[in-house]
Order: sequence, then C-alpha cells, then structure tokens
Amino acid sequence: MYQQLTFENCAHSKDPVVGCALEGIAGIIAGIRDVCVVIHSPQGCAATVALGYDNHEIDFTRRKVACTRLFESDIIMGAGEKLKDLVRQADATFQTKVMFVVGTCSADIIGENIEGICKNLQPTVNARLIPVMAGGFRGNAYDGMDLGLKILIPFIKKPEEVTRVPKSVNLIAPQASLNPTWWADQAWVTEILKDMGVTVQSVFPRDASMHQIRHASTASANILLSHDVGYGFLKKMQDDFGVPPLVADLPLPIGLKNTERWLTALGREFGAQETAQRLIAEGEAKVIDLLRRRALMIIPRYRNCRVAVSADATIGIGLIRMLFEELEMIPEVVLLRSDSPEARALLESELDDLGIAPKVAFGVDGYQIGQALKSHSVDAVFGSSWETYLAQEIGIKLAFDVLAPTNRDVYLDRAYFGYEGMLNILERVGNDWEAAMRSKEIRWDQYDEGQRPAAARTSP
Amino acid sequence: MSEEAPSGISDHIVFHGPLSELYRLAKEGKVPTHLQGSHTRPCKFWTATKVLSGIRNSIVLTHGPSGCAYGVKQAYKLTNSRNSGSAYEPVVSTNLDQNKIIHGGEKELKGALAEIDAKYRPDVIFVATSCATGIIGDNVDAVVKKARGEVKAKLMPIHCEGFAGEYRSGFDLVFREIVKLMDPPTPESRAPLADAVNIVGAKMGAERTEVDTDVKELVRLVEGMGARVNSVIAGNCSLAELKRAPSVAVNCALCLDIGYAIGTAMRDTFGTPLNSTILPYGIAATEKWLTGAARHLGKEAQALELMEREYAAVKDEFEAARAHLAGKTAIIEGHDAIKCLSIAYMLTQDFGMRAIIYNFHPWSTSARETSIDYLLETGMDPEILITKGTLALGKYESMQQTEEELLRFLGDLDPAQTVYFGSSLSYPNIPLVDLNAILNRPRFGYRGALKVAQCVKTALDYAFRPRSSMTRRIVFPEKGGLSSAQSLTPKLAQNAPDCTVYAGQKGRGKCINN
Repeated sequence: MYQQLTFENCAHSKDPVVGCALEGIAGIIAGIRDVCVVIHSPQGCAATVALGYDNHEIDFTRRKVACTRLFESDIIMGAGEKLKDLVRQADATFQTKVMFVVGTCSADIIGENIEGICKNLQPTVNARLIPVMAGGFRGNAYDGMDLGLKILIPFIKKPEEVTRVPKSVNLIAPQASLNPTWWADQAWVTEILKDMGVTVQSVFPRDASMHQIRHASTASANILLSHDVGYGFLKKMQDDFGVPPLVADLPLPIGLKNTERWLTALGREFGAQETAQRLIAEGEAKVIDLLRRRALMIIPRYRNCRVAVSADATIGIGLIRMLFEELEMIPEVVLLRSDSPEARALLESELDDLGIAPKVAFGVDGYQIGQALKSHSVDAVFGSSWETYLAQEIGIKLAFDVLAPTNRDVYLDRAYFGYEGMLNILERVGNDWEAAMRSKEIRWDQYDEGQRPAAARTSP
Repeated sequence: MSEEAPSGISDHIVFHGPLSELYRLAKEGKVPTHLQGSHTRPCKFWTATKVLSGIRNSIVLTHGPSGCAYGVKQAYKLTNSRNSGSAYEPVVSTNLDQNKIIHGGEKELKGALAEIDAKYRPDVIFVATSCATGIIGDNVDAVVKKARGEVKAKLMPIHCEGFAGEYRSGFDLVFREIVKLMDPPTPESRAPLADAVNIVGAKMGAERTEVDTDVKELVRLVEGMGARVNSVIAGNCSLAELKRAPSVAVNCALCLDIGYAIGTAMRDTFGTPLNSTILPYGIAATEKWLTGAARHLGKEAQALELMEREYAAVKDEFEAARAHLAGKTAIIEGHDAIKCLSIAYMLTQDFGMRAIIYNFHPWSTSARETSIDYLLETGMDPEILITKGTLALGKYESMQQTEEELLRFLGDLDPAQTVYFGSSLSYPNIPLVDLNAILNRPRFGYRGALKVAQCVKTALDYAFRPRSSMTRRIVFPEKGGLSSAQSLTPKLAQNAPDCTVYAGQKGRGKCINN
C-alpha cells in the first residue's frame, strides 16, 4: 500500500503540467486522416489545437486548421454567420472528407448552436461536418482525450452490421503517453502482434481513416496503450460492441518483467504462446548481452539509488518495477500527472506485489512536484524537462530527461515499450548520468600554481 | 483593391506600390485588412502574459480553466528556463471547471490569491483574466481589492480575455498597467539615476546567456557613453527596478511600437522623457537612438565619441560592403511588420539600397501604425509587394503559393543586383540573408551593421552554391501547400529562426515572436 502525499495551499490554485480538454480533443482529431478543423474561438485557442497536432508530429503541410477569431462583439452578438462563412471557405480550400467544427470555452459558454449550424450547412458543403463542444473547462487534456474518443463512438458500426475478424485488435490511445516518440511504442506493439498472427484493425486514433474507425467493431479485442485515458472507451466498446479489452490490468511493457508478462498474456489470448516465449527469450538475451558489453557500470551506479518518478501513469507505472527489480533502484516518490481509479488500482497492486511503499501523488501540478522533490531525499528524478529544471533548482544532481516535453533533440523514433524500448530508456538515463557527473572545468585554485599548464596560467 | 492599386499589377500581384499608398487605402477601407481564418496570432491573453513573464519574482495567476495557463507556461516559461538558465517558473491557474463556470469562480480566485501568497511569496501577483471568466462576469477587481489587505504581495488585475482585442492589445495593456506599480519621481530619487536609462518594450525573461543578443548590445552602447541601464522592462526586471523606473533620465524604446505604450504612459504620468526610434538595426537608426538618449542624459559629447569609436571599429568592412550594395535591390520578407520596416530603413539609410517589402500583410497597417507613421514622417516610403497567396486561406509564411509568386516576381530581376532578406525557409533564386539566424546577432548597433554587412558578403560570396535540394524538399514537400512556419512540427519549429512558432508539447519550449 502506498502512502499518499498531501499538499497544503493547493485547493484553489494549480500550476498545470497538463493542458486543457481542448488540447486533448485536438490530440484525438489530429490522429484522423483527411480531416480539417474549424475552431470557433478567439485566436489564442488555435495554439492549443496546434499542441494536439504537435503531439502527433503532423507534417506542417498537412495541417488544415482555421479559426473564426472571435472578438468582443462576436461574444456579445454571437458569431454564427462568421462560423458559417469560415466553414464554407474551409470546405472549398481544404477539400477534406470530414470537418470537425470545434467550439472552445467562449463558444461553449455563450451557447453557440454549433450543432444546429452544422446541420443547416451540411447540405451545402462537401465535407461531413462533425460539431464538437470542447470548452477547456471540461477538464484537462486527459479528460479531453476521453471526450474525443467518445465523439468517435457513434461512427462505429453496430456489431450486427459487421463481421468479426478473428485475431484482430484495435489499439487505443497510443498518444496518451509521455514517450516523446510514442508512435514507436505503437509500432512495436503492431510488430509483436504481427509475429503472433494478429492484425491491427484500427488505431484510436493515429493516422486513422474514418473507414477504419467505422470498422473498429470488427476487431476481436481492444488493447489500451495508456493508463491515463481510454478506460471509458474500452468499457463502451465491450458493452455496446462486444469487443473485449485485453491486458488492461497489466502495466504496459516497460522493462523485462513487464514485457514478459504482457507478451505472455497476449500469447495466451491469441494461441501464440510459443511466439511469445521466443520473443521474450530473444529480447532478454539482447538486453543482457548489450548491457554486459556496454553498460556494466550501471550495476554499481544504480543499485540502491533513491529515485523519484514524475510521469504519466502510462510510463510511470511500468517504470517502477523495472527500476526496483531490474536496476535495483529504490522508488521513493511516485508522482503521476493523471488521476484515474483504474491507474490507482493498478499502481497499488504493483506496489503491493513489489513490497514497497513509496510516497505517491496523483494529478500533480508543478508546485506539488517541486514540494515532493524538496521534501524527500532522492538521488535522482525520472521526468521531463520540467523536472530537470526543478531538480536543478532544488539541488538534485541527477535528472533523467526521458519524457515529454524533453530538452533533447530526438531525430529517430524510439520506443520505450519492449526490449529495445528498455535499452532506449537506459541509454538516455546513462547519458544524463554521465553529463551530470562529468567535470566541466578543473578548479585550478585548489592546486599549486606550478601544476597549472602554462597556457592556463596566462589566462585571466 | 486591385482597381485602386497603382502600377505593376499582374495576375499574381495584388498590390505593388509605396507603403504610404497601402496605408491610405487601408485607412479608407479600400483594402481588406482582416486576417484570414488560418492566420491566427497569439490572443490578447497570450501577449499580455508574455510581457508579465518578464517580471521577476512575480506570479501570473490566470483566472480560468488551466489550459490557458499551461499554454503560456510551456511557451514562455519553458523557453526562459532553456534559453536563459532561469529556474523553474510556474504559471498558476484557478483551474475552473464546468461547475465553477456555471456558479462563478470568485471564491476560487480569492482562495488562489491567499494560497499563492503563502506558497511562492512573490513580490506581485498578476491576475490575468481568461475568455471564460470574462464572459461569466466574475468581478475580479472586487476580489483583488478585498484581498489587498490580506496578502503580502502586491496585486494587479490584468483584463486580457483572449477575445478582448487584437494580439498586440495585450502588450499595450500590460505595459500601461505596470506603470501603476511605479513610484512617482522625486528630486531625491532622480539624483542617483541621473545617468541611467530604462530600455522599455522588452518581453519574457532574461537574455540568452550564450548569444550576443540585441539588448545586450544596447546595454553595451549605453555603458559605452558613460551611462547605465536601470532596467530592461519587461525583460527579467524586478519590482524594485520598476518602482524606481520613472526617476531615470530617459526611457529608450527597444521597439517603437511596443515600447511606445509604456513610454508614453510613463511620460504622461511621471514626465519621464521618451526616446524612441524604429528598431535600432544598423548605424543610422542606432545613432538616432543614442543621440536621443544622450540628449536627456546630458552626455552628447560622450555619445559622439562613442559613435566615432564604434564606427571606426567597423568602418573598413562596413564601407566595403556599402560600396558593393549601394544601388542594389533588397527584397525583404514582410511577415514581421516591425522588423521588415526596420530592416528597410537600415538597408536604405546605411547601405543605399532600394527596399521592397514582400508580402506585408495589409492587416499590419493597423496593427503597426506607430512604426509606419514614424517611417513615413522620416521620409521613408518603401515599396510594398503583396501577392495573392498572402491573402489566401492558408499560411503565407512558407506557403508554396507565395513562394512561387515570389519566384515569378524575381524572374524579372537581375540576381546579381538583388538580395533577399528573409527566412532561410524561403528559396528565392537570389542571394539570401537571414538576419534572424541565431549566429547573426547582434543586429542592433554598429556591430549589428557590421554583422549585416558580413552576412551580405557571405551570401554573395556563396551565391554560386545552389540552395540545398534536401532542405527545399523538407520545407516544400511534393503535394505540399497549406503550410506555415507557425505550424511546423515541433522539432522543425524549434529550429525555426527567432521563435516564430508556438510551443510544441513534445519538445522544448518556444516563444512567439510577435
């Protein structure tokens, strides 16, 4: 059982490390192919929608977004005509099959009838119009992703309209992950499923067509790739479409043991136990062989190093077993950005199984992360660039910048799931360790003047 | 518009004529000055919080849903940490949910003010209103007024709902409001600051530590004439600096447009003199800037000496470049109105070139009135060229259509006689100088003029090298079209010169330049 951290002076103020519902919804829309977005909002909200597209790294020539740029008079008088004009203009210019018409806080509060406008306009435009009310106050980005997934449900064909395809799955919410190149995790999952003879029907959504979304009910199972969002969608898919969830009660495949458990469960489900065992044997052999040759020093480095993990539930929960069992670190503090009952239960079960009781907090903000790091004696922090700056401020020498937003230049996609994924994490951690511990300049003043090289003596 | 435009009209060019003509047509309503739905700018909330982000030991409390706070925090504060080595900086939100939107968020605001005061012990708490709280009508002023006796920090409401004005209205609003934090000057407060200036019109945090920035160059020049800088407002300034700011000898505007709001507000309220020119790119503008400052500092002789000394240091290279450039044509990208006007001024005044500003959006005629008035008053009237792509739905900054239109226009010009001043993300078939590139700093002052001269020389020396087909394909892929530097993927966006894009969640923070 974990010990939950409490924080004073946080009931009314939050220093957010997660965006709003609009960003989450945009992060779902951005994963659908051949759509455009008309945002009915003041112009600043376009930046929030851009974050959703950034999260998918949508090529900058493929972003089709327009904004009504609401001003005061629009707020007072309503701006239905302005919206209609822009919808027509966007339809003619972008020429996409589907157009999401998204109202943000302002349109949501003043009660713009986006649904009615779309209904009236539909016969006059080519794109299928999908109205969405996405006021940022409807929750954080995780809530927004859940809302976005919910919007897609009516488009999915009823079970009686489709034929179930055996050994096929939908992958749910891969984008709800702080791996800076999360699509590499999705790719790894797709690859191992292929090895097991399982096809991916739809990804909800990443470069998904509306056709794929409509036919999601043909899949024989759903695999949730996040512990931060998607549980509601998973349940709806099971209840309304008869598509059951798989491995939702296991941590995602981060580290050796978690990957083994995950692969074993999938192998069992799809009658591919032998393939699963082969993947596990090959993967573990690769990790161990590479680490033996290149990273023996991680053993004395990491053993009994007290660490804080500040992450999303997706990566964070999986990391804990890897850090504790495989690297022999001691997770002292676990800070998760989201807060769902499912993630709480999973974390609790993991910690009980490991026999450790770190301090834990859910739905943390920047202040709480800072306070937790300050009030616990840790040697290192796993997190993003936010945690890196906080660690510097507090005086924690080791900050492993492995999550988004990261300070790294990342050119190649790198999975965190699976065996290479583990090596990817360890490589980053190893380099951050090296950089932190490397001497930057010799302090000559601690030596006799005679020992200083001539060139250095002449400098001021 | 096309009926009104003077000569040079073709199928692709919708306006080609002097700035004064475009300005007149815009004022008469004969030119569409609205931005297209795809040309979004930061809203008033973003621009207001960008200035507030430059005040040290203050907290911006955004009253509304958390997304607004998160966006500006990632864009500005993460950039501050990355570029300037500053510690983690929060942006706090009252985090209103649906329930609070229905029932009002005043209680949350009151609670948040007390919590922030206790948690961070800031000098000032700025309460920035969002669209949501503006619409539901929370009485922010009353809550703040009541809380004043209950918290230690100074409190200041900033009414910057995103819908409440064009993007620059947020800059102007905050610059006018922070004047209220200042102490009226007295003979006693003026005496120790008789040799000091404020540089006004800056935004965000501290200067980059590893870059020869423009502001650093101005500080060096001010100190070079025996004066000093009290504060760069609001570039990492403190409350103490702000309080004594009116007592300096003169305010020097960093940027004519943005510095004008605070400069005039301080002049009208406290009588602090204002020295403002167009951005001091190059020698002519810098000398105006220095001479104006020196007059109020009583350091005319020192300024003259400084100018001679500085010029002597760059003279040979500068004059060689000038001789080479005089009479040639400069095509200047018009995406950033202030910068392009300042560059046009420099190229005309310092280098004797003919300046044509390309794709200056007519929207800028109202957004940048101060700079345009100044330029026209000083007798400068650069040519403006606007093509259809600029006014189309889509993003004109790096749009295939505008690129092709540019190439068409350049087709008639002699490559040996023409230099393009713009982003490296453009691919004109003439030598290109990108003054926004990080290594091409500073651009202000004499060193800036020399830097420009060196950049031009390098561009001409290597004009024989075709632009990389690899990078061209990166920017303009096959079947590309509706593209923009404002919507680059995060990694590309980070490398885009001069922070022209929003922050990307996956990567490092970035600022918005405008």
